[in-house]
Order: sequence, then structure tokens, then C-alpha cells
Amino acid sequence: MEQLMVNILIATGFLAGMGLLLSALLVIAEKSILNFGPCTIDINNSEKILKVKGGGSLLSILARESIFIPSACGGRGSCAYCKVIVKNGGGPVSPVEEPYLSDEERKRNTRLSCQVKVRNDISIEIPREYFSVRKYRGKLISKRPLTHDIFELRIELLEPREITFTAGQYIQLKSKEYKGRESVIRAYSMSSVPSDKNHVELIIRRVPDGICTTWIFDYLEEGQNVGLSGPYGEFKLQPTDSPILFIAGGSGMAPIWSMLRDMREKGIKRKAHYFFGALTQKDLFFLDELRQLERELPDFKFIPSLSREPENSNWTGERGIITDVVKKYIPDTSGYEAYLCGSPGMIDACIKALTSTGMPVEKIYYDKFA
Amino acid sequence: MKKIPQQKELKDLLGPSKFSGDGYLGTDPRIPESIIEEDRHIIEQSGFTKEQLTESLKDALKKAVDALGDPVDILPGVTAVHYESRGKIPSPYRGDGLFQKGEVVIFDSKSGKKIIVTPLGINLIEKHNFFQGRGSRYRIEPEDIIVIFNLQK
Ligand SMILES: Cc1cc2nc3c(=O)[nH]c(=O)nc-3n(C[C@H](O)[C@H](O)[C@H](O)COP(=O)(O)OP(=O)(O)OC[C@H]3O[C@@H](n4cnc5c(N)ncnc54)[C@H](O)[C@@H]3O)c2cc1C
Ligand code: FES
Repeated sequence: MEQLMVNILIATGFLAGMGLLLSALLVIAEKSILNFGPCTIDINNSEKILKVKGGGSLLSILARESIFIPSACGGRGSCAYCKVIVKNGGGPVSPVEEPYLSDEERKRNTRLSCQVKVRNDISIEIPREYFSVRKYRGKLISKRPLTHDIFELRIELLEPREITFTAGQYIQLKSKEYKGRESVIRAYSMSSVPSDKNHVELIIRRVPDGICTTWIFDYLEEGQNVGLSGPYGEFKLQPTDSPILFIAGGSGMAPIWSMLRDMREKGIKRKAHYFFGALTQKDLFFLDELRQLERELPDFKFIPSLSREPENSNWTGERGIITDVVKKYIPDTSGYEAYLCGSPGMIDACIKALTSTGMPVEKIYYDKFA
Repeated sequence: MKKIPQQKELKDLLGPSKFSGDGYLGTDPRIPESIIEEDRHIIEQSGFTKEQLTESLKDALKKAVDALGDPVDILPGVTAVHYESRGKIPSPYRGDGLFQKGEVVIFDSKSGKKIIVTPLGINLIEKHNFFQGRGSRYRIEPEDIIVIFNLQK
């Protein structure tokens, strides 16, 4: 019996040892035996060609070359922010990527760049904007409440000192550790005007128990340094003359606020309506500033609508859900372009309302990421 | 009792992370497998199925999301309010994909019970029979669903 136990122990030990040896060999093989040597990354049909040392993930190799693809999980394959199109050389889609890729994305060869290993020459497509993405260190110079659950942050850029972006784009803000919670990265639309290159402004709504918003609301103080990267995103005003419908409530005002002030600065005189949906008067902000914009932009109208304002209050503006109010003001939207910002529920409701009044779906713009 | 590696792994997966600040286990001392097993037993005893419970949650979530932040009456005395948030959260179970952030708070004034429903929370129940640990903001007691939605056999 004793001999049997000894034999079992020896066999188990032998197997465990072999397992360890094999894992070590695999790691060594990955690092040295499989020498991938120099590889070429062709970006956007040779718009940029990088000569790199193969072996790492596409995401990390691009970052080393100062091309920053959005990422919120540090390359662990769980945030799906890091999508790029890999035209060839990317190898098969891994099981980690599969759940994050829609059928359409698969057809277009979309991949998670953190899961694609650069082992040979590879050609990829990324939005041109990514070439100008930079990492920034900034200082929070103002933090002020706009409503009971929305704050505005103003950040001065310290290093580098300037950001070049188009109104509508967003940055990724890095929170700091607090109360045992990890540092995280979250996206926020810039509400500042692009001409104010030394600053970034954000309009942020508190998410109950949210990691980043709790840090912003309860821990981040004026004078503290913050890390961010950007600009990202393809949500921007199209260069046409079509009249515009902006629809956004709450913190969704951020990119619209940037676009409107940019229009004023650039003297863009397109006809525009901004429909802002809220529950009660306590959810409204920037009312005076928007009324001032109405005076400065020749054909701009701001229409807030409240769906839960008490009947007997002093509110004389529109009441009801925002999609109904849009229909009331613009019964035929066929000649318009729409710019939406909000949750997917709000976006879906707006798309339904706008297409039912004649707007072609391709004239409706919003941040698909959100 | 010494934990087997699988149990340790699931517990780690469901702990606080870069995506869920407090994780999915709350202050529950039980291991995830026990939480799942005990909830499964409670549902079996109740005479309802997990599908019946998740249908009620899904229906309330949809109604609240469609109301764009306006409180909606689900049943007499039962209100649901959607608090939206842009952005998506990955499931702690790798491979289940991403879910819209934000939450729907459902309150039943008759029983005083409140539950917080999220798209991810519903998926965890549907796919993994996981109602989350006690003390988690997003834990839903199976019995509370039966009471709030006044489910009848
Ligand atoms: C392109 C883009 C632009 C954006 N711009 C803005 C902006 O201008 N202003 C703004 O305020 N926001 C903006 N957002 C949203 C922002 O990026 C964050 O997602 C938001 O602030 C919430 O972050 P958080 O870390 O506070 O919450 P998180 O901690 O990331 O998320 C909290 C949510 O996760 C879910 N969750 C967590 N734990 C569990 C659990 N145990 N069970 C079930 N569900 C759970 C819940 O749904 C909860 O609501 C933008 C997002 C995108 C993608
Ligand atoms: S960086 Fe998060 S999935 Fe790739």
C-alpha cells in the first residue's frame, strides 16, 4: 500500500514537473526561438508604413510608434475599444475576439488590435484621426456643478500643451485609484471649442457607484493633475448646407455645445434647432448661454422640453418627450441632417421618430461607440 | 475545505475589476457556485421557472428604457425608472460580450421592495443562473421578482 502511494506521488510529481518544463519552453519559444524579425505594418493603403520588430500585439506595437488606438482594458481583450480593420497578415480571429465582433464587422475584417499578434507583414486600416491622438498630462483648473448630477470640468493641458480636434470628438480620461478601486479609462466628449487648444472641457453625469464618475465627483479636486488621451471619434458636423437638428439631453450636450460654439466662431450660418429633453427645470443648464447663442447665430433655435415638470410651475416652455416636440416643430425632416447624443435607447427613439418624418437614416449622425 | 482552482478562478472573475468597481459578489461569504445553487433551489421551490422571472425583468427594463428617463408604471404601485449611461461593460464571464451601462430602478410601493436591473445583470441570470451575491448593488432576490411582479402560477 505504502509502495503504491510512493509510486503515485512520484508519477504526480513527474507529470507536474513535465507540465512546468513544457510551459517554460513555450514561453522561451514565444520570446526567442520564434524570432519574428522585422515586420512591416502598412496603414491605410501605405499612408504610413512602419518597420517594427515583430512579436508583440498590434495594439502595443502601434502604441510604441505613438499611434494610440482606444483601449479601456489594457489589452486584456475585454473592452472591445481597440477595433481596427486588418486587411491581411493578422491570422485567424481568436476565440477571445469572437463575441465582440458583429457579422458585419467580421465581413469587414475588423479585429481587436490587442489580440492580433504581429508575426509577419500586416496591412491595416484605422481612422485617420488616430494619427493625431496624443497622451496628455493636464491640471484640473475648474470643477463646477451644472445640475444636481452633472459637473463641468475644465482641464489645462500641461504636456503637450495643445490639442487639435474637431468639435464632436472625445477624449479618454484616466481615473486614479481610490478606496481600493483600480485606475480606469473612460471616454468623455469634449465640450470645449477646438480653438481653445490649451484646454479641454467635459460635461459629466454621475453614474451611481460608477468607478470613474465617483472618482470625478467625490475625489478629484481642482489643482490635481489628470491623464488623458485623444482626440477620438468620428462624430462631427458634415460639410454641407443642410439645416441641422441637434437632439441631446443631460451630459449628451457636451459635443453639441462644442459644435454650436464652433459654428459661432467660424461664422457658419446654417439653420439649426437644438432640442434638449429633460425631466424638470432642475435638469436644465446653460440656458442663458444658449439664449445668447440664439442672438449670435442668425438661424439658431434652442428648444428645451420637460416631461415631468409639475403642471403648476412657472415653466412656460415645451412639455413632453423630446421626440414628440421635434415632430411638432419639424413635421417634415426630409431636408435635414440630425446630430444625436445620448444613450442607445434615446438614439433609437430619435431614429424612429426622424425616419418616420422623412429623414434618410444616413443623414442621422451619432457616436456609434457609445 | 481547500478550494479547487476552478472555484478560485470564478471568485476572482466576479470580484472588483476595472469594469465593475464593487464586483458581483457583494459581502456574500458564499462561493459563487453555492450562490447559484441556492438560488436555483429557491426558484425550484417557488414553482416558477428562471425564464418566467427573467421575462418580467426584461419587460420592465424595456419599458423603462423606452420612456427615456420618465418613471413608468409597470403594475399598480410598481414604478421603473431608467438612469442612462453611455458606454458598455463587458461580462465578467469572458466571451459573453458587452452590455449597455446604466440601470433601471424598480420600486414596489406595496411591499417596499426595490431591485436594480441592468442588461448585464439579466444576462448573468439568463446564461449563468447568477443573481449576484448578497450586498451587491445589483443582487436580485428571486423571491423579490415574484412579489414585485405579482407572478401567478
Ligand atoms: C464615446 C463616448 C463618449 C462619452 N461621453 C460622455 C460624456 O460626455 N459625459 C458623460 O457623462 N459620459 C460620457 N460617456 C460615458 C462614460 O464613458 C462612462 O461610461 C460613464 O461616465 C460611466 O463610467 P463609470 O466608470 O462612472 O461607471 P462604470 O463603473 O464603468 O459603470 C457602471 C455601470 O456598470 C454596470 N455594472 C457595474 N457593476 C455591475 C454589476 N455587478 N452588475 C450589473 N451591472 C453592473 C451598471 O450598468 C452600472 O450603471 C461616454 C461614453 C462613450 C463611449
Ligand atoms: S484593449 Fe480592450 S479589448 Fe483590446
